[in-house]
Amino acid sequence: MSQADVRRRVSSRFLTSELRLIAVRRRNQVGLAALAAVPVVLAVAMKVASPEGPPDRGDGPNFFSQILGNGFFVALAALGVELTLFLPIAVSMLAGDAVAGEANQGTLRYLLTVPVGRTRLLAVKYAGIVMGAFVAPLTVAVSGLVVGLLLFGGGDVTTLSGTQIGFGTAVLRLLLICLYLGVCLSALGAIGLFLSTLTEQPMGATIALAMLTVTSWILGQIPQLDWLHPYLLTRHWTDFGELLRDPVSPGGLTPGLLSAGAYIVVFLSAAWARFAGRDVTS
Amino acid sequence: MSVFKSRPALRWLVPTAAAVVVIGGGAAAGTIAASADPTLPERSAAQLLVDVQNAKVEGLSGTIVQTADLGLPSLPGVTGGANGAELMKLVAGSNTARVWYAGEDKVRLAVLGTLGETDVIRNGSDVWLWRSSANSATHFTLPADAKEKRRTALPQGVPSTPQEAADAALAAIDPTTAVSTTGAAKVAGRDAYELVLTPRDTASLVGQVRLAIDAEQHIPLGVDVYAKDATSPAVRIAFQQVSFETPDAEQFTFNPPPGTKVETPSQAEIEKEQQKAIQEHEKALKRGPGGKPEAPEGTKVVGKGWTSVLVAKLPAGDAGKQDGKGVQQLEAISGALPKVNGAWGSGRLLQSALFSALLTDDGRVLVGAVAPEKLYEVAGQ
Repeated sequence: MSQADVRRRVSSRFLTSELRLIAVRRRNQVGLAALAAVPVVLAVAMKVASPEGPPDRGDGPNFFSQILGNGFFVALAALGVELTLFLPIAVSMLAGDAVAGEANQGTLRYLLTVPVGRTRLLAVKYAGIVMGAFVAPLTVAVSGLVVGLLLFGGGDVTTLSGTQIGFGTAVLRLLLICLYLGVCLSALGAIGLFLSTLTEQPMGATIALAMLTVTSWILGQIPQLDWLHPYLLTRHWTDFGELLRDPVSPGGLTPGLLSAGAYIVVFLSAAWARFAGRDVTS
Repeated sequence: MSVFKSRPALRWLVPTAAAVVVIGGGAAAGTIAASADPTLPERSAAQLLVDVQNAKVEGLSGTIVQTADLGLPSLPGVTGGANGAELMKLVAGSNTARVWYAGEDKVRLAVLGTLGETDVIRNGSDVWLWRSSANSATHFTLPADAKEKRRTALPQGVPSTPQEAADAALAAIDPTTAVSTTGAAKVAGRDAYELVLTPRDTASLVGQVRLAIDAEQHIPLGVDVYAKDATSPAVRIAFQQVSFETPDAEQFTFNPPPGTKVETPSQAEIEKEQQKAIQEHEKALKRGPGGKPEAPEGTKVVGKGWTSVLVAKLPAGDAGKQDGKGVQQLEAISGALPKVNGAWGSGRLLQSALFSALLTDDGRVLVGAVAPEKLYEVAGQ
């Protein structure tokens, strides 16, 4: 057996064990259930309150008024609501835990005694975060879609451009939205991984990352800081609406993907520089 | 790798370099695109204007971005708050719109907002206005003879050939404006000629107006307005991406989705509006180039060309009773402006990169693309 083969087998085993650890961890399961509960609460509340006709709303960017007509919008409204805080917190929990969690429990040095390079350890940890970043919005969408269909029914979906698309196409677009948000949250996860290598307190890294997200949203609301806006992490997150136009603009998501890519490159390399160079004492 | 192992501190060079490349790369991408000068055969300003008049575009689709950086001070009620956000974007920020065009009677313009869209769609005699945020659609029907009416409303003595028109236009603006062409520019990845209008009067705050004209299709691709001595445009409207393929017919069909509020203004209302517009147009023509403008009482234009200053009287009393909220808002805004005074009296000044406005305490408004000193001078007259 060549050396390359050995390396690949070991690597995939480490990765699967890490992913399994994340999946069976009770707090992660509870967190995922909380994410899935939001669209349920939202849909039930809309169903119970059910005002006479959709309320007149201002220019608020939401999909609430369309929920009563089509259950599809439960998923979109839930994603829009959770994107500001719940989804980033979920990713923050995973990312904060990644390295600092092991260090806090004293398992990091044991992990490094097995023949695993530090770079590979980081790669596996980041793979776990990325998996969480994609699973979280998908969970919200699936939960929202199911409860929406049960309570309000489906049908053709009205796009932002005022045209109608079939339900199947709409679900496909919802999947693309989840993938886009997954990429955005992966960028957040990269920052989290870096923060996680700085400390031995996972809670510290988690809170720092959640606060960073909230700060980024707030700064994005202040018009006097418009020179800063292009660099903000959350700047392009709401661009997912591009996928709801008809026709979908070809370059609409490019800025968001480029920005996420830039964050990932910078902070993953920073995490590598920090982690591979530091003394592991716990 | 071995260097990184022996000297771990060197590892920090990697993220630093990545950050520099990413930030610098983003900034450089813009300047490279702007400075890449394609070589095009030279064309004079008159030739360019003829080109634009003769341009025949079968169809196009693209994205237009408007950005403004007027350097306005922050104003309560205008630059802040939920409603202010939209207004604010017009004077400081950017707006994006997508256009589709397939001949004069098939046009669609979609102004994009965050998770929202406003569409204006014309298909034959149907015109639809769709607002996704309000979930509402407005349907207008253009009368079949609308075009004829517009044609008869055109003034007499309109130049009959594009060449004449171009010459006439250049001659008309020559006393106030220097017109030149620069090598060439790139807009939306396409080669373009640039027509540069420079005010001859150096007192104007407007430094230059640059019009980019597509080298192949001869349609304007963008307009940049530069303030005096500025290196970046104060206002810019340009195609970000453009394609000259005729869009599909389905882009122009609009059926209001179920659950939409549909408004249909009556035919009479539309005609009344049109009559009004035509009358005003005719009135404007009667004034002629030399005639005195027939403006509301107390409103006059002082000066000529780029440095002209508009002087108007604020409607006192009766307008305030009708719209108390508006006046309140106005007062809130003017209260935030810096106080100025001089031999001409006292008032408040709004200053931006492209224009100044003076609100005097005796109820006059002076606006012009000039420095505040010029406004004081006019106010003292």
